[in-house]
Amino acid sequence: MKLRLTAALGAFALCVSLAAPSAPVSASDDTIVFGSPVSLTGNLTKEGHLTQEGYDLWKNYVNAHGGIKVGGKTYKVEIKYYDDESKNDTSAQLAERLIDQDHVNFLLGPYGSGTSFTVAQIAERKKIPMVEGNGAAEKIFNQGFKYTFGVLSPAKRYLEGILDMARSEKPPAQTVAITAASDAFSQEVAAGAAAYATAHGMKVVYSNKYPDTATDVSSIISALKQTNPDVILNAGHLQDALLVQKGLKEQNVQAKAYGYSVGPDTPDFANSLGKDANDVFGGAQWSDAVKYHGSPGFYRSAREYAKAIDSTYHHRADYHNAESSAACLAFQYAIERAGSLDPAKVRDALAKLDVTTFYGILKFDSRGLNVYKPMVVNQIQNGRLTTVWPQFTADGKPKYPTPPWGQR
Amino acid sequence: MHLIAQDLVNGILAGGILAVVALGFSLVWGIMNIINLAHGAFIMLGAYTTYQLFTSFHVDPFLSLPVSFVLLFALGYLIQRFIMNWVARAPVLTTFLLTFGLSLLIVNIALNVWTGDTRGVTTAYSGANFTLGDVTVPWAKLFTLLAALAITGVMQLWLTRSRTGRAIRATSMDIGAAQLSGVRVTEIYAIVFGLGAGLAGVAGTLISLSYALNPSMGDLFLVKAFVVCVLGGLGSVPGALVGGLVYGIVEAFATQIDVTVGGQHISGSGLQDAIALVVLLIVLIVRPTGIMGKATA
Repeated sequence: MKLRLTAALGAFALCVSLAAPSAPVSASDDTIVFGSPVSLTGNLTKEGHLTQEGYDLWKNYVNAHGGIKVGGKTYKVEIKYYDDESKNDTSAQLAERLIDQDHVNFLLGPYGSGTSFTVAQIAERKKIPMVEGNGAAEKIFNQGFKYTFGVLSPAKRYLEGILDMARSEKPPAQTVAITAASDAFSQEVAAGAAAYATAHGMKVVYSNKYPDTATDVSSIISALKQTNPDVILNAGHLQDALLVQKGLKEQNVQAKAYGYSVGPDTPDFANSLGKDANDVFGGAQWSDAVKYHGSPGFYRSAREYAKAIDSTYHHRADYHNAESSAACLAFQYAIERAGSLDPAKVRDALAKLDVTTFYGILKFDSRGLNVYKPMVVNQIQNGRLTTVWPQFTADGKPKYPTPPWGQR
Repeated sequence: MHLIAQDLVNGILAGGILAVVALGFSLVWGIMNIINLAHGAFIMLGAYTTYQLFTSFHVDPFLSLPVSFVLLFALGYLIQRFIMNWVARAPVLTTFLLTFGLSLLIVNIALNVWTGDTRGVTTAYSGANFTLGDVTVPWAKLFTLLAALAITGVMQLWLTRSRTGRAIRATSMDIGAAQLSGVRVTEIYAIVFGLGAGLAGVAGTLISLSYALNPSMGDLFLVKAFVVCVLGGLGSVPGALVGGLVYGIVEAFATQIDVTVGGQHISGSGLQDAIALVVLLIVLIVRPTGIMGKATA
């Protein structure tokens, strides 16, 4: 009895002495703390929760598998969240609080381009690295920031895949009409698509924008119809994507392909439109069909990842989940490679990162933007989202040209 | 030429909905001098009523019109009777704050009930259309316009011919004289506020056929209601109709403006709202009481 007590005390003393001399970091000595202001209420609630799921899934995986190895020592992971109410300024204030009062080691991005932009400024000022997976506007990366990294493909690439797909068909599509909402992200998407189409020998026959508050776009559709385009593209958001798709049917506009930057990937699109959503294409950052073979340390394929999301959160894996987990993964590999928790060293490791994951390649250009990962193209086929492009990663063939309204 | 005709049709069809959107708002403002910031939230509730009846019981959206009206009328009546009445004839800021608070409350309850997901009412005939010469007319929007015209007509008749309607107009003209003539003003106010909410509900039902639903959808329509009712004339039923049609047509034609000034490409479409507001400004300079408004309501 007495012997056992002594042994226990001895073991305890040993633990204390081993733990004591380690790096003087935040919260506790064997935990890496990440901080994230994220939209848990407000108009981006849904996306904010998907982001949080992505972060938490990664955290749980890492902690269940021992933790992150940093120079011979293993750390557990913790994420501290605050609700930024989907507001840009609040998000920045909370990021400051996470750094100054909670002493987090690193920042994980909030949801959205607006919030990511304001938080990036805080990260820069405090010299704390942030990896974000939910702000695709290039504006964030054109400020010369050194501490912000984004795992997303940039906005201008959202519709390129759909154009590539339509060009590869026989006969190839030749004309494009583009409608876009007036916000910065959508305008970047539209300008990128127009430039890409022109550079690849296609003709942009119609291009127009509408206010992001539009409740009726029928006159834009009337004008677009007169140009009789092969491909109709929309750069906008879910609400206006629905408005455009309904409007196209109302005025019986028949094209060979209909593509949207945002919309078809959320279940709301097909749920709202029923059969009229069929055969529509959407650009996406990721889908559960992509066939990357990821490095060890996390779920290594999209299928495994999707299964984990389904069994934990009981819904189909969404690209918001995946890009959020990917942001965490960038940190995981960078921290391991840096062999240190020093913010500057981890930043440098992030800048040099080049690793393939379930989500695709994680590699940043000098601005911190992941320009190396292609977008995928999904098509709604019989109510189900099918990945059809690029071919090497597709799980189905594109249905092209689109059949007439009423036969979808 | 064909585009001009098509735009005219697009504008009239959109304007019909805007007329109903503004009608209830205009009545409450014109008669009770309350700028009801919860009007958008009422519209949203009307749209969700239709959505719920459509998805749970397969009720056609047009058949849910009376249901939206009655439910929202009851809600508006009760709100006036038990909440708004406390601040009857208070300064405009008080009612502003109160209706703004109500709006927040309703929208957040809706967020809890229906979540923030975007939803749509897509019927079998949604998107069905016919052509008239070169002009395409969607059936659902045509029926929406007809419903809007009918509702406006009934409202106008009721306000001018029925006993309650006359009491309402009397109250708006001279509240003291109306009281002396035996009009129960609290009751009249509750009816008007209920009517405003009921008409918002009807507008929500009509909107749900063309516009996707989410709990914060009402705000956009609240702004439009504001412009339309000032444009047409406060508290005037035909004014709301004319204002709605003018607004719809102006927006439709603004879309086709496409000029290049000094190498700068300007699209009228991106400036729809601005152009509509310029028209409002011009109307207010020429006719300060709105197109159909009278100097004394």
